[in-house]
Amino acid sequence: METGLVVDKDAGALADTPPGPGAADLSIELGGLLLTNPVMPASGCFGPELAPLFPLAALGAVVTKTVFAEHRAGNPAHRLTETSYGMLNSVGIPSPGSESFRNGLLRRYQESGTHVVVSIGGLLTPEYYTVAEDLAEEDIAAFEVNVSCPNLERGGLAIGTSPERVAEVVAGVLERVSRPVFVKLTPTVSAIGAVARAAEDAGAAAVTVANSFSGMSVNIHSRASTLGTGAGGYTGPGIKPLALKLVRDAAAAVDIPVIGCGGISTAEDVAEFLIAGATAVQVGTATFTRPTSMADIIRDLGPLCGRLGVSRVAELIGTLDQEPPTR
Amino acid sequence: MTAQPAAANPRETWRLVKLPRNQRPAPTAGPVRVLAHERLGDRYMALTLEAPAIAASAQPGQFVMLTAARAHENAPALPRPMAVYSRDPAGGTIEILYGVIGEGTRQLAGFAPGEQMYVVGPLGRCFEMGDSPSVLLVGRGIGTCSLTTVAEERARRGLQTIAVTSARTPGAVIGADFYRDRGASVVYAVTDEDGSSAPDSLFDVLTRDWDHAPPDAIMTCGSDRLTRLCERLGARWGADLQVSVEAHMACGLGYCHGCASGARSEGDESPLICQDGPVFSWQRGADLSPAAAGGADGQA
Ligand SMILES: Cc1cc2nc3c(=O)[nH]c(=O)nc-3n(C[C@H](O)[C@H](O)[C@H](O)COP(=O)(O)O)c2cc1C
Ligand code: FES
Repeated sequence: METGLVVDKDAGALADTPPGPGAADLSIELGGLLLTNPVMPASGCFGPELAPLFPLAALGAVVTKTVFAEHRAGNPAHRLTETSYGMLNSVGIPSPGSESFRNGLLRRYQESGTHVVVSIGGLLTPEYYTVAEDLAEEDIAAFEVNVSCPNLERGGLAIGTSPERVAEVVAGVLERVSRPVFVKLTPTVSAIGAVARAAEDAGAAAVTVANSFSGMSVNIHSRASTLGTGAGGYTGPGIKPLALKLVRDAAAAVDIPVIGCGGISTAEDVAEFLIAGATAVQVGTATFTRPTSMADIIRDLGPLCGRLGVSRVAELIGTLDQEPPTR
Repeated sequence: MTAQPAAANPRETWRLVKLPRNQRPAPTAGPVRVLAHERLGDRYMALTLEAPAIAASAQPGQFVMLTAARAHENAPALPRPMAVYSRDPAGGTIEILYGVIGEGTRQLAGFAPGEQMYVVGPLGRCFEMGDSPSVLLVGRGIGTCSLTTVAEERARRGLQTIAVTSARTPGAVIGADFYRDRGASVVYAVTDEDGSSAPDSLFDVLTRDWDHAPPDAIMTCGSDRLTRLCERLGARWGADLQVSVEAHMACGLGYCHGCASGARSEGDESPLICQDGPVFSWQRGADLSPAAAGGADGQA
């Protein structure tokens, strides 16, 4: 951690008071990558289609929709519904397949002007390896292994709830790529620390905590589920307290960085996650509510640091004023 | 934007087909000022927004996403897609009509003139306008809002438009005055109340009046039953049919894949309503796969 005496870069002067608005250093280090700020999109809640709406280069990184080895059509309609304090989705990860992704969509992500994190998925363990092999030589900053989608026929959650299988997938992917590997964990476990540790021991550079919660809603008139598949993933502001607690627990269990994800929509939310132990954050549903949310969060983060009395956002990380739970 | 994606119905060999890719205006996003917000009849709200970029660039059939959450709030999470009912490029305003049907639209209805509302647009694919000498527009309820700007644009180019606007009651008929003042040469305002909206009687009236000079193209939005009617008329007159389809949306831009129509096109993911539509060509074609039949009823 830094001392209180810092150089106010904008003013070029030595200052021992918190910097003025915007003067804070927002950069963070994440698994060997230097990010200009801790804000990146959550997988599946972002696309290069947003480029006309705000400068994507302002993001700490971009994260792709989860890529599968083969083409996937995704789930039947309806795939989305509004629900209390958030939304439900059963999109089911449609994917162009890794080869087609490499030759098309990946190039558009690479034009964003910031780090590209590619999320990879599979129904069976070997499918993750195929994607990793297909993308190993590409200009990619890091991979995020998604072992936690609640919307798949099989795999996904089933892998993510087992520390052994998480370790197996991570080790297998690491054998095939030379980039940092993040692991996106499921919130649907009784002890997130154990899964996070398994990922760490297998060589993961960071864990993302967490994916969406399983949920559903019912149309009381038709008595049918509002989603085509019967249930889906619950995301948005309603899961923020749940995700925050998981971040604290995961951060207490591992030494690698934790990427906080779940219900983040403001700079204050980012600060909460960093204080609870996250090094960086991902923003999902808030981008649907307002596509420029991440730009607004980054804009607000500097002044917020000033109000919180830190000159570097990294100074907030893991500063929760509480005895951490025992490992 | 209020039609059901009728592709879900396997009974027939009609299906959604993507229109050719056209040049679309770049969307904008951000808070804009509410200029007016009034009740319209007993069912709808009329919202006028100061949105010069959208007013200048929106094409007929395109839509915007309205965020019902106020600044610094984040519920409802999902913005609501709405057709641009009318636009005034000179004045820099757009008008949107909507029905208050759920929590999201109830919150939208609470915005007062002078407040800021977060808006993204224009979005989606517009109606393929072509130079058809005569076009028939068939709208039901709020679905008519996707069609009004077609009439206006065609009038500007000196082309004839015939418009049907259908609703349950006379008080719920949308756009009849707009059509009369700003574009359509003949307007049929029909209702369930007097039976004039029944597809069979509409078929009789329209064929009686237009068999001698049939429209070249039909554009519809808002009702499965009227889409059926348009199929019959299209087949009889040899007219092309375009439909505007509605769906729940999250991004409106094509990256979330939440708005898939459920109409499966060979092996591919079904068309995305926001990106491949909301306007589609509605064509008689190969059988829909059984997979498509179960999935979508795409109501909003
Ligand atoms: C429509 C939608 C699609 C998603 N697709 C993916 C995906 O492909 N891969 C993934 O790891 N997570 C996916 N997620 C989960 C998000 O990345 C994120 O973990 C979750 O939305 C929680 O964050 P939020 O509350 O900020 O939305 C998706 C979420 C939504 C709402
Ligand atoms: S609403 Fe996101 S892809 Fe259509």
